[in-house]
Amino acid sequence: MAVVADAGVLYGLLAVGAGLATGLAGIGAGVGEQGIGAAVVGVVAEEPGFLGKGLFLMLLPETLIIFGLAVSLILMFAWTPFAGIVTP
Amino acid sequence: MSRVVVAGSKSVISPVVEKLHELRLLHIVNYNGSQPQFELGKPIGKAKEYSEDLIKLRSITRYLDLKNKAPDKTYPESQVLSEMDNLLNNIGADVTATFERITAIEAEVKSKQDQIKALTPLAVLPLPLDAYYGYESLATFVGTAKTPVDADVAKVSPVNEIYSGSAKNATFVAVFVPADKAGEVSSVLSEHGFSELSVPKLEGNVDAAIATLEGSIKSLEGERAPLQKKLADIKKQYEDLMLATDEFLSMETRKTEAPLRFAETDNAFVIDGYVPADQFSRLKSELESASGGKIEVSLIADKEADDLVEKGEDVPSQMDNPSLVKPYELITRLFAIPEYKEFDPSLLIFVFFPIMFGMILGDIGYGVMTLLVLMMLKKKFRTPGWQQLINVVMVGGVWAIIFGVFFGEIFGPLGLWGRIMGQLSEHEIELAKEAGLYFGEGVFGSLGRLGPLGIFPLDRLATNAVLLLIGTSIFIGVIHCSVGSILGIKTELNYGEKKHAYFERLPVMLFQVFFCLALLGLIMGQSILTYLGIIVVVVSIVMLVMGPEGAMGLAHVPSYVSNLISYLRLLAIGLASVGLAYAANQLAFYVIMPMLSGGATNSAEFTIPAIIAGIMILVVVHFINFLLGILSPFMHPLRLHYVEMFTKFYSAHGGGVEYSPFGHVRRFLKA
Repeated sequence: MAVVADAGVLYGLLAVGAGLATGLAGIGAGVGEQGIGAAVVGVVAEEPGFLGKGLFLMLLPETLIIFGLAVSLILMFAWTPFAGIVTP
Repeated sequence: MSRVVVAGSKSVISPVVEKLHELRLLHIVNYNGSQPQFELGKPIGKAKEYSEDLIKLRSITRYLDLKNKAPDKTYPESQVLSEMDNLLNNIGADVTATFERITAIEAEVKSKQDQIKALTPLAVLPLPLDAYYGYESLATFVGTAKTPVDADVAKVSPVNEIYSGSAKNATFVAVFVPADKAGEVSSVLSEHGFSELSVPKLEGNVDAAIATLEGSIKSLEGERAPLQKKLADIKKQYEDLMLATDEFLSMETRKTEAPLRFAETDNAFVIDGYVPADQFSRLKSELESASGGKIEVSLIADKEADDLVEKGEDVPSQMDNPSLVKPYELITRLFAIPEYKEFDPSLLIFVFFPIMFGMILGDIGYGVMTLLVLMMLKKKFRTPGWQQLINVVMVGGVWAIIFGVFFGEIFGPLGLWGRIMGQLSEHEIELAKEAGLYFGEGVFGSLGRLGPLGIFPLDRLATNAVLLLIGTSIFIGVIHCSVGSILGIKTELNYGEKKHAYFERLPVMLFQVFFCLALLGLIMGQSILTYLGIIVVVVSIVMLVMGPEGAMGLAHVPSYVSNLISYLRLLAIGLASVGLAYAANQLAFYVIMPMLSGGATNSAEFTIPAIIAGIMILVVVHFINFLLGILSPFMHPLRLHYVEMFTKFYSAHGGGVEYSPFGHVRRFLKA
């Protein structure tokens, strides 16, 4: 079956996919951090010395969004099968 | 650190405490009362007196609203002592009396204001104030009602006197009925949504009463103002002296209460503690001369000291860094104090943190702004903590300027600011794009484009630049993580855990380095490199399985990859801020300004209102970007250190205890 792809449409779909990857990962990281953040603020109010460790815990889910971003970057720039078509 | 024991006759306890306080060398380990032959020490000298004075002083400083601040003036102890009596008793009594008078005035003003509030609605009723109270056979109801009450009240109590008036969408009624009807009338009124008002017991007509109250409020406030000024004057005059006295008293209290931390018998005392190894002989000789030889200062043998550590005693650690690195101890301390045998990571933070900050922010304009703002803040916030924090960010700001030069950014990519530095011609840009070497269109003025392949100035938004920066970020990540792993190996060896060192820490490093080499081989098409990488990666995984965690160690493997990917944030956060700056510039120069100038395309044709609107957009968006631009380049490298690097070597054994020798750093007192 021959797939006839319009380069413009493909590029657009790639961009949508890249956007979704970063955006959804961002939502996920946010949801994760929400609970941790609330708990950390509670602990730090009781014991200020916990701030550093609290920050550490709070920043853990931040990696998730970087994963999303990495996927976006690969989609937009680096994945050669796509990068070839990416000249709108 | 050396573990020492100081034992001596109780007769010399005061001079010994005095000397210890002056030396600031001995980190005292509190005696916990666990041995039957020793009991906890008792305070010496005038402990009770000093702490009472301190409480008195603290209450005075609280009345004066005195805050701790940087000292403007210092006092010798003798002066503090001679002025203390006057300060605590005469001035203290004066301050207390004044403060109490002010509080009383404020309470009175408040009650008069409440009365005015209660009186104001009564102005609509035609009755003098003394008509509302003082009856024996009459019941009075004054308040608001939702519906007219006359008819219903008349039904239950034919004898009545009702006045009503309305103001501010409410109806005010005053109902007078014989006292024996009070109950029935009350229930009738409540059916009409009656809510009662309290009437102040005053005389005369309502307006006159309000005027009188306002008059007396004014005179009370007139009395309060000079009192407040008096307090402010006292504060200004005695601020430093009071803080010096506070310091003196807390110091004396600490000295007199120090024996609470010692072990004592009837005739002797014993102090346990740690002292920096090279300072032991000084401690010994100073203490011996202070006590006239009635003391024994001895070192505990290493083996015995190790036993104490086994039993749960913490060896205090002191972070010792050159003054340049000192501010970065703040970041270490925020996470945990290094344990005695652990590596103090402040030096590493000093090396990596500012570079990461600079790489993320990477803009000459923002860098200069950061420095300017921080210089202003530095004058304002003069506590050591803030100063350290500001110093840390300032060094980051300098790196931001350096990277700004590489990235060719002044408030956004230079491409848009090409008018300042110039840019490549269309033709050359096309050529570069065709050759796959397009890294941006800006140039360094007459120098043109610099670096291998003409990479700089790098436009971070160009495709090739993004790929290059991905590589750079991961490269920094590999180095950063490897340094962490090497230190992890060293730390484990310090603790004598060979298995942990070679089969838990080492494989992580091998995995991360050769995983990246394998990827590099794939990208560059060097299959030898790829195979070598894969082989070592497999070997490292096998080593992990052989390690202390066994097959469970495999569960960590994905996190080693994600550790590295995490370094992409160095690129990502930067891209976000460049993107915003670029958008701001585009919006101002290519949308707002031409639009408001009636579609002009040449900058010379822009009208003045268009330029003003454009500049406002620029200022607002760049300001927001600048705020984010200080916050995220700070937080994210912090995370890279805490999560990616520290986990490899730091604090695996729980945080340490900071070396805090018995003694005091004088601030308001002269030595």
